[in-house]
Amino acid sequence: MKSGPRRALVTGGSAGLGAALVDWLLANGYEVVVLDRDRPWTGKTSVDFIRCDLASRTELDGVLPDLVSGGPYDLVFLNAGINATGKFEALDPRTHVEVLRVNTEAPMVIAAALFEAKACRAGAAMVFVASLSHFTGYPGAASYAASKDALAIYARSMRKYAASRGVSLTVAFPGPLKTDHAERYSPEGADGSKRMDPDRAASLILTDALAGKKTSIPGAGNRAFAVVGRMFPKPVTAMMRRLLYDRLKS
Amino acid sequence: MIGARSRRILITGGNAGLGLALAKKLARRHSLLLSGRKSQNEVAGTLPPGAGYVVADQSDPEKSALALVRGIRDFGWDGLDNAVLNAGIGIAAVDGVDSAEAIRQTLDVNLLAAILQARALFPLLKKSSGTLTLIGSVAHKGSATIPAYAASKAGLHGFARALRSEWKGQVAVQVLHPGPAKTDIHEKAGYDPGRMRALFLAPDDIAAMMASAIASRRSPATLSWVRYLNGGAFTGRRL
Repeated sequence: MKSGPRRALVTGGSAGLGAALVDWLLANGYEVVVLDRDRPWTGKTSVDFIRCDLASRTELDGVLPDLVSGGPYDLVFLNAGINATGKFEALDPRTHVEVLRVNTEAPMVIAAALFEAKACRAGAAMVFVASLSHFTGYPGAASYAASKDALAIYARSMRKYAASRGVSLTVAFPGPLKTDHAERYSPEGADGSKRMDPDRAASLILTDALAGKKTSIPGAGNRAFAVVGRMFPKPVTAMMRRLLYDRLKS
Repeated sequence: MIGARSRRILITGGNAGLGLALAKKLARRHSLLLSGRKSQNEVAGTLPPGAGYVVADQSDPEKSALALVRGIRDFGWDGLDNAVLNAGIGIAAVDGVDSAEAIRQTLDVNLLAAILQARALFPLLKKSSGTLTLIGSVAHKGSATIPAYAASKAGLHGFARALRSEWKGQVAVQVLHPGPAKTDIHEKAGYDPGRMRALFLAPDDIAAMMASAIASRRSPATLSWVRYLNGGAFTGRRL
């Protein structure tokens, strides 16, 4: 029983993992609504675009009705995120505020609004994109780590309620990706060759989401990292410190 | 040596609940500065003798951080041995979903305010080789009754893990996760725990476990029945 084409919402769909998700969805016959700060730079014309800077509460409140009326959705990807790497105390307070607003508050507010307006079809899947950093300490990106951990636990807390509405919640924990975002925030001289291709991450996460899995950690290497990070938090955090924090300039 | 001298201790949300219980425990041996949302007049007479008080409303995270720094300076301190970022609110989700307003308020008060306060207090803590203590909750692993609250506390957990490594050798960072206590947080949150309340620990006992956990500088530490039944409120280091 299907009424019309399936619809999907992707926040942060203009670049990186979000753009890869949008490509996959379009190729598989979805109608896609994209929310982002910037227009899709790949020049996608076949998506409904909603412009919004998620760091701004007023902008988000302004587009919430459009987000709801863009539904009902079969798939929702709360993917938009920003990072801020640097010594915690050296970063501007506004930066920490924006990281929390975009990465945590906005997806929580959007999810709550979609649930309240019943904007997800029964059998829909909602995906919260957290980070592999959930499984380790992340020195050099303290507020980012906080923002993604908070989001992952919000999703976990909402799972039962979502299930009562027929919606499955998946938390995705992607590791380092070959995106502009990752390159902008990684230290100089970091080895980018081991990062995962966003198209591959997108298809792995989508497969898990459509199967209704609770968590999605794309890639065997990343899954192994998550297990080791959980078992040996101290040495893994120390390793993360050498990889990022110790290479910071300021 | 910890426990050998009087320490300068800041406790946010020190005018009620666990913060006040901790303050009362520490007031005899240490110099205290407490913060809260209420005005000086409203809290007069309820605080332990000798403790200072500064108004810092966490619902404006940036202003609250500035207010704390100013309050410390006005109190005559040039360093800080302990900062216990304890202030927090809970708002029970209505019909399973937090409103946008509740989400924003909870994240601002519980998480963002603590993050900006930690940043603002860093120079003072560093000067005294102090300890930053973040008060989380056992709900940091998730809770369907209070999703936004659980998220805010999970954020503190991840923040502490990162910052503990970053500030290693300068300022000790820890996160403590108290179990439910017989404070008025549940009533304020609009949540009635019913008979479950009988299972909650007394604020005094949690405060005693907080004090010894602070002295030990370990992180993370869960302060609940398991620790209590192992004598956590009576043994351990003294702050």
